[in-house]
Amino acid sequence: MNERIKNVGQAMNRIDGLLKVTGTATYATDYAIKNTAYAVIFKSAIAAGKIIDLDTSEAEKAAGVLAVITHKNAPKLNASGGIRGGALLQSPNIEFHGQHIGLVVAETFEQARYAARLVKVSYEKTDAKVDFEKHEKEAVTPKDKDRAEASRGDVETTFRNAEYKIEAVYDTPIEHHQPMEPHATIAVWEGEKVTLYNGSQIVNGAQNAAASTLNLKPENVRIVTPHIGGGFGSKGGQWANLILAAVAAKVVNRPVKLALTRQQMFNSVGLRQRNRQKIRLAATKDGKLTALAHETTTHCAINGEFVEPCGDCSKVMYDVPNSLISYRVVPMNIILPTYTRGPGKSTGSFALESAIDELAYQLKIDPIEFRLKNEPAKDPSNGKPWSSRAIVQCLKEGAKAFGWEKRKIEPRQNPQGNYLIGYGVAAGTYPARQRDTSATVKLTRNGSDVRSSIELAASDLGTGTHTILAQTAADALGLPINKIGVRIGDSALPPAAGSVGSVGAASFANAVNDACVKITDELIAKSGKQFFVRPTAAEMMASENINEFQTRVHAKPPADADKYSSHSFNANFAEVWVNDSTGMVKVQRFVAVTGAGKILNPKTARSQIIGGNVWGIGMALTEESILDSRWGNFVTRSFADYHVPSNLDIGSIEPIFINEEDTIPNKLGIKGIGEIGIVGVAAAVANAVFNATGKRIRELPITPDKLI
Amino acid sequence: MRPFKFTKVNDAANAVQTVAANANSKFLAGGTNILDLMKEDVMRPDELVDVTRLNLTQIKTVSGGVNKGGVSIGGLGKNTDAANHPLIRQNFPLLTQAILAGASAQIRNMATNGGNLNQRTRCSYFYDVAMPCNKREPGTGCGALEGINRMHAVFGWSNDCVAVHPSDMCVALVALDAVVKVQGTDGAERSIPFIDYHRLPGNTPQKDNNLNQGELITAIEIPKNNFSDKSYYLKVRDRASYAFALVSVAAALEINGNKIKQARVAMGGVAHKPWRATEAEKFLTGKEATEANFKQAAEMEMKQAKPLEYNKFKVELGKRAIVRALMQAMNGGKV
Ligand SMILES: Cc1cc2nc3c(=O)[nH]c(=O)nc-3n(C[C@H](O)[C@H](O)[C@H](O)COP(=O)(O)OP(=O)(O)OC[C@H]3O[C@@H](n4cnc5c(N)ncnc54)[C@H](O)[C@@H]3O)c2cc1C
Ligand code: SF4
Repeated sequence: MNERIKNVGQAMNRIDGLLKVTGTATYATDYAIKNTAYAVIFKSAIAAGKIIDLDTSEAEKAAGVLAVITHKNAPKLNASGGIRGGALLQSPNIEFHGQHIGLVVAETFEQARYAARLVKVSYEKTDAKVDFEKHEKEAVTPKDKDRAEASRGDVETTFRNAEYKIEAVYDTPIEHHQPMEPHATIAVWEGEKVTLYNGSQIVNGAQNAAASTLNLKPENVRIVTPHIGGGFGSKGGQWANLILAAVAAKVVNRPVKLALTRQQMFNSVGLRQRNRQKIRLAATKDGKLTALAHETTTHCAINGEFVEPCGDCSKVMYDVPNSLISYRVVPMNIILPTYTRGPGKSTGSFALESAIDELAYQLKIDPIEFRLKNEPAKDPSNGKPWSSRAIVQCLKEGAKAFGWEKRKIEPRQNPQGNYLIGYGVAAGTYPARQRDTSATVKLTRNGSDVRSSIELAASDLGTGTHTILAQTAADALGLPINKIGVRIGDSALPPAAGSVGSVGAASFANAVNDACVKITDELIAKSGKQFFVRPTAAEMMASENINEFQTRVHAKPPADADKYSSHSFNANFAEVWVNDSTGMVKVQRFVAVTGAGKILNPKTARSQIIGGNVWGIGMALTEESILDSRWGNFVTRSFADYHVPSNLDIGSIEPIFINEEDTIPNKLGIKGIGEIGIVGVAAAVANAVFNATGKRIRELPITPDKLI
Repeated sequence: MRPFKFTKVNDAANAVQTVAANANSKFLAGGTNILDLMKEDVMRPDELVDVTRLNLTQIKTVSGGVNKGGVSIGGLGKNTDAANHPLIRQNFPLLTQAILAGASAQIRNMATNGGNLNQRTRCSYFYDVAMPCNKREPGTGCGALEGINRMHAVFGWSNDCVAVHPSDMCVALVALDAVVKVQGTDGAERSIPFIDYHRLPGNTPQKDNNLNQGELITAIEIPKNNFSDKSYYLKVRDRASYAFALVSVAAALEINGNKIKQARVAMGGVAHKPWRATEAEKFLTGKEATEANFKQAAEMEMKQAKPLEYNKFKVELGKRAIVRALMQAMNGGKV
């Protein structure tokens, strides 16, 4: 690698920034395809039962209508082909409120939307299970092996006999991803081949699910998704919209565009499940943890299990000899839950890190001190050594940056006029992994001008994938960054991992780096020359007079990676101002210190952490999807009711990164930052609210009514 | 959206006639509310009469009549302009605060004053056409009565409807004893005291206010008063901006010596209409402006509250908000 040029590690602007701010970046619906028709979905008004009759005659007669597709006339699909949440119009059965029951295809969006209102549906209702409190008792052990009970030592006895302990239940509500870009698909058929323009975090995953569901060969399905307007997990797995667009396009024999409305998003593309987490913690008088039990009860779909891993943080955060992690789940008439930013870790850390704060307070030990006393030397869940573990540094540097020494252990000690000020801390973790990814690198030369194109079926959620891959390639090839073109988001390119589970950056960047190293090796080999100083690929193209050259790699995680436990860690510090009269909370200051390995681009990384922090603050204070248990519908079905934090709710956010070099999980030492930013945030805020008010709120969100 | 006819008009008389002639016709002002409701199929007018070109946007001192010396704001003026006009900022800072507590800057730039009065409830059952709602479809029942009624009324509701009026601006206007000027279908102007403008639901929740089909709000007059140095609008909500009130309070005091000469207290987020807290006002008149008296006034007002299953907190929150708003008013409206 050429030492003179260094793009990786620089705070650089996004290379796709201009496209974005000029509105020319193409999201799923931004393709002007000739002769496109528009599809609008209509949904079930009951949560359980079946459709007795569907009268589509009026809709079919409405102006511009090309087709009305329901379970009565929809083509047969493979419903277990990998599409999440069902709703593929294959039967009259209804499993949740707002399940897709049909779609209207028309010349214009307005015509389709109008006609969709004209469809008359009669149902046979059965009892719907939508009230979690009522059905919680019916919960069973999940089938998912990864959610099997994990225990060591003897939690029950230790807890029973402990002098210092906490037993508390923490409730988190249903949340929705609601990315800025709602789910949308354009489907274009050419014979037996279909192209699907569709926001897809896992490009090849979408391709395979679509192919399998539509009974096509994978090579006959192409997913195009160069830019994605956020997904947060909801575009990880694919939902019925992807398939229904293809079905509609087949039926009307034209390209079809299908976009969900904001309201429809609430029951179309999954959600973060409601969790009831029981935590038991026991410690000695001097603050050594002796037992930790983290038991989660939640819900899943009637015909589909998903359970977010709320106990994950509890497995690795603290050194505790007796531990129990368990899950129970009850199938209900609610859409299938799915991966949602920081799956399990964000919600699980709220419970764990609140309980840690409660126990520290009971022991009158500073909560940072308490955490430091319980640092595990090895991963307590599997005995593996840490590849690196920055949590102590995160806590210490954060305390300094935040001014933690000013905090008083007792609550309500810091009034300011009508406000009560409180400080809170909470830590978090997220696993670091690399996944298999292929990449092609192409070099072209025109005189002295050498350019490269990097190609792989990676995806950019808006996080900056294009940019970090250009930085990586520029350094590895010895080219200026503006000579690098990045082509991603297309299943026609070499297959790649997804932008999920914080594996994107590590998987994509290592593959790109490997490809660049390989192409340099090949150019050197081809020249047959020996070099004392390794030349760059760009130099080789020039010196060897080569105009076009390319190579491809398949990158895998290092063989030894599995022998270690690799995680990102963070420490979050919140200063809240609680209005003592009205109970309104403002997060005046937030400091998030993160140890996440190599930070490829501090600018885009900072945005990632801020985004995670804001969502975490939303989780703490505002976000909640509420069901009416009589019908199973969400009564919070727009941004007027589903509150994400506004600018005014949040003062300053200061992300700090720990300089961490750890090449065990992958050669480039990338741990990923997509999820860690939300982990531990809600607990830090809730702990600060306790410090401000003396009120321990164990049920999120902390709305004003809970504090008065 | 259902197909509809779009009609442009050039003068108020024409606007009134057009809408009066078609029971299914509606005025279109800023469109920030009615268009949303049409897209969701909640309102289904077959004609929209665009009144945005009418010259009814002025803000000026009232030169004659009972409100002489007060300020008139045009029915089609923008919320932003009303909030920021010097005549309003100087004389009725309460109104400025209330308007700026609502919606977002972008919406306030589009929203008109008349539209603000006539905006419809934010009850989520009203918005969801799959749900029963007497306001949307009389006779279908009230989804919220035994549903998720956290945002709903604690005063003056009926079994037919428990919705609240969502406006902030209107809470200040009712406290300030404003008068709604209306151009009637017979061409004559009608004045409706603000307190009588909006209705309680009774058994006709489909009617939000006492405007007749075709009647156009031309202006809102605010009589002169002596509250400008002691008023405050407090809005309690689930997030700091861009959320409707859980409870809001418009408080204004006129002090003579150490006694309250006149008190105005109105509440938002608690009833089907902007709620004038007359019990609190009566109690405060002639009393000293102390926290203890504010507390007692708040107790008296909230004693009449009849909370629903999920909004019991509004009783305590209402009390606190009344006290806090009055304290802030005494403090010159500063936070
Ligand atoms: C996301 C969001 C958040 C909001 N938050 C708040 C908030 O916190 N507080 C708050 O107070 N408001 C809030 N609003 C509501 C906003 O204030 C209203 O939508 C706005 O005031 C309506 O004015 P408009 O001119 O756009 O009305 P339109 O939508 O054009 O019309 C509304 C109704 O009034 C009628 N109408 C309009 N003008 C006249 C007239 N001159 N005479 C007779 N009838 C007339 C129309 O026929 C229609 O029925 C919010 C709105 C949105 C979309
Ligand atoms: S409260 Fe009023 S608006 Fe809401 S559902 Fe009941 S009748 Fe409809």
